[in-house]
Amino acid sequence: MSSDYENSDNEYYDDEDDMMLEDEDGSASEMDVDAFDIDYRTSGKDKLKLYEVEYDPLSQRDVEKMMQQDVENISGIFGVDSNIAALLLRHLDWNKEKLIEKYMDNPTAVNTAAGISRPERSAEPPRSSSRSQPSQSLLNLGPRRSSRRPTAEPPKSGKTKIIERISPPVEEPQAFVCPICFDETQTETYSLHCEHRFCTSCWNTYITSKIRTEAEHWVTCMAEDCSLVAPDSFIRKALQEDNSTWNRFQELLVRHFVACNPSLKYCPYPSCTYTVSCPSASSRSSLTTIVPIVTCGASSSHKFCFGCHVDDDHRPVVCGVAKMWLQKCQDDSETANWIKSNTKECSKCQSTIEKNGGCNHMTCKKCKYEFCWVCMGPWSEHGTAWYSCNRYDEKASVDARDAQSKSRASLERYLHYYNRWANHEQSAKLSMELYAKTEKKMDEMQMTSELTWIEVQFMKKAVDEVFKCRMTLKWTYAMAYYLDSGNQKELFEDNQRDLERAVEELSELIESPLEPESIPSLRQKVTDKTVYVQKRNEIVLEDTAKGLLEGRWKWNCSIEGFD
Amino acid sequence: MDARLRRVNKEIADCKNDKTSNIVVDLIDSSPYHLRGSFSGPEDTPYQGGHFEVDIVIPESYPFQPVKMKFITKVYHPNVSSASGAICLDILKDAWSPVLTLKSTLISLQSLLCSPEPNDPQDAEVAKHYMTSKSSFEETARYWTMIYAGGPGKGGVPKATKGGTMDEVAMAGLEKAHVDQFEAIGFERSKVIDVLRRLNYRGANVAKINDDRVVEELLK
Ligand SMILES: [Zn+2]
Ligand SMILES: [Zn+2]
Ligand SMILES: [Zn+2]
Ligand SMILES: [Zn+2]
Ligand SMILES: [Zn+2]
Ligand SMILES: [Zn+2]
Repeated sequence: MSSDYENSDNEYYDDEDDMMLEDEDGSASEMDVDAFDIDYRTSGKDKLKLYEVEYDPLSQRDVEKMMQQDVENISGIFGVDSNIAALLLRHLDWNKEKLIEKYMDNPTAVNTAAGISRPERSAEPPRSSSRSQPSQSLLNLGPRRSSRRPTAEPPKSGKTKIIERISPPVEEPQAFVCPICFDETQTETYSLHCEHRFCTSCWNTYITSKIRTEAEHWVTCMAEDCSLVAPDSFIRKALQEDNSTWNRFQELLVRHFVACNPSLKYCPYPSCTYTVSCPSASSRSSLTTIVPIVTCGASSSHKFCFGCHVDDDHRPVVCGVAKMWLQKCQDDSETANWIKSNTKECSKCQSTIEKNGGCNHMTCKKCKYEFCWVCMGPWSEHGTAWYSCNRYDEKASVDARDAQSKSRASLERYLHYYNRWANHEQSAKLSMELYAKTEKKMDEMQMTSELTWIEVQFMKKAVDEVFKCRMTLKWTYAMAYYLDSGNQKELFEDNQRDLERAVEELSELIESPLEPESIPSLRQKVTDKTVYVQKRNEIVLEDTAKGLLEGRWKWNCSIEGFD
Repeated sequence: MDARLRRVNKEIADCKNDKTSNIVVDLIDSSPYHLRGSFSGPEDTPYQGGHFEVDIVIPESYPFQPVKMKFITKVYHPNVSSASGAICLDILKDAWSPVLTLKSTLISLQSLLCSPEPNDPQDAEVAKHYMTSKSSFEETARYWTMIYAGGPGKGGVPKATKGGTMDEVAMAGLEKAHVDQFEAIGFERSKVIDVLRRLNYRGANVAKINDDRVVEELLK
């Protein structure tokens, strides 16, 4: 088995990984090894966890190579210049099959639509379907020599003539005046083969404005109603020394190519030019079974979802749920704020009661009436221990008496999940402070104990893990909100509760004040807890991913992608 | 000299020298980048005899980005917002070309008045009116031309005096009898006009919209 990998030139495979691969056939006892080794395990490309997807990060160069291949391919098939092949491909959104089909059917129409040739005016005999031989140069660059007359060759029959001059330019033996800037001092001109001449300075400003202001890679001739498109060689020439605009143009071309290909996605991080290829997540239906979280090749912090626009690692929930939940949070933000700050009236004595803490068992301070905050009914009617902190009792909503209580109950239900979601998000946001504090503690440990720098890393490792798990926990509340009640949801919430407890305990450990004499025992406790937390997190992620693949999760409303 | 300034100055001068096109471009203040264009309503249209003014803003990247234009004069036309004067015309957007000028663009606006494009409307209510009954639409457009653009009154109808009352029913392109009918039930006249206009209570539509539907809207 390992010999296959020895021959591979893939950088991901090293000796460690080969060992891991062999272990896989044996027992699953790897969990018990020292916490510091665990990271190696997730980096092996072929050892994908159920909740991971296979993908390749691509640099802009890599994508340009893919584009170049398509261009050369089309250029070879049609026997056209690569500038023309590129315009044809861009016009048909890089769909090679469609291009070939259309081009074989009617090359003139495709050339016209792609801005390569101008529409024919006079009715000409139907062209033969033989391949075109556009040996002519696509553009006329450089200063125009006034002696040159446009040569109007009679069309040769049986040969597709791509370049045609419909209206010969008016010959002006006097000084050229650019019809755009009226600047007589501008004598250098360019034109596409339509012979619509403009000064080089206007071309430069125009193309720069198209690329910079409009983020456009499709640059047509400046003349009115002229649909000829400037090929890359023309743009390069017109931009002259402006390499930065040229590079921006290249980036726009790559972005267009990536947008046309469902198995590619551009890294959403600002000014990053990396692309990720993830064919397994290219169809919409795949997004009901996998959560394609990927990282671009530029930075490990450029983590994003290949399947949606949520700029977060939203595992374990699928894109449809993540989107719905975020939309709900946005729509209800006012209501949530209102209800959170709102107080209620005791249904017996009408005095104002403020809720403090998370418990729904309320007692009126004035008349001692005990009631449920959700349905406002008497507490005595509710069973004992009906409430546990991560679980929302759906029964409470059913118990709601009237329409007002019902809508209040549904808001309460939402707030139950929302508050826990927001709490984890908030805690994760505070992680920068926690990192700073932990760093200080690690310094302190090195000074007050025998521990070396490498030996105190367990603290940082623990903070990393807490942060990671809070992200998972955060999204589990979005998941639970949409899960249909029943056994599966209960099992999900059992796992959620176990992870949450473990995370809170680890948090407490790393935030507790340092006592020099107990450092060795703290180290042991933190290390053990970190391993345990990691295990609990794996369980939540793995089991949720498994459930998605099995179609085990039942939703309480319709979710995008699911039937 | 700055290329944009040279070009705009030349354009303004060209308009001044050209006496045949009847296109006028004036400075509003000292800036050559905020102008007022005007032209007369095309003949054989409901806009005939009117004088139409257009607000012109020359953007920083002119002429590589399109000039910004909107009607100052209120116009009843499917491609012009009856409220803001905003114009839906391709050359002011994607179809702009740097060789187009203020003059050629204003001429295009003039010809837009000749040939409305109700399928690509700026003002959906006006477009619906146009599609439902062209003759009723033209009557309203003519009335607006008279009220706002100083156009002539329709045979015998006196030109509205400045500050005088204008006929709200005609402004909305409705029939007086229809407005009277619902006003008689006890609804406020302005509310009736508003609802009937929104429902496009004109031409063949009148038969399709039953009275209950109108009353329901009026009660909202
Ligand atoms: Zn020029
Ligand atoms: Zn041209
Ligand atoms: Zn990136
Ligand atoms: Zn997603
Ligand atoms: Zn509680
Ligand atoms: Zn009370």
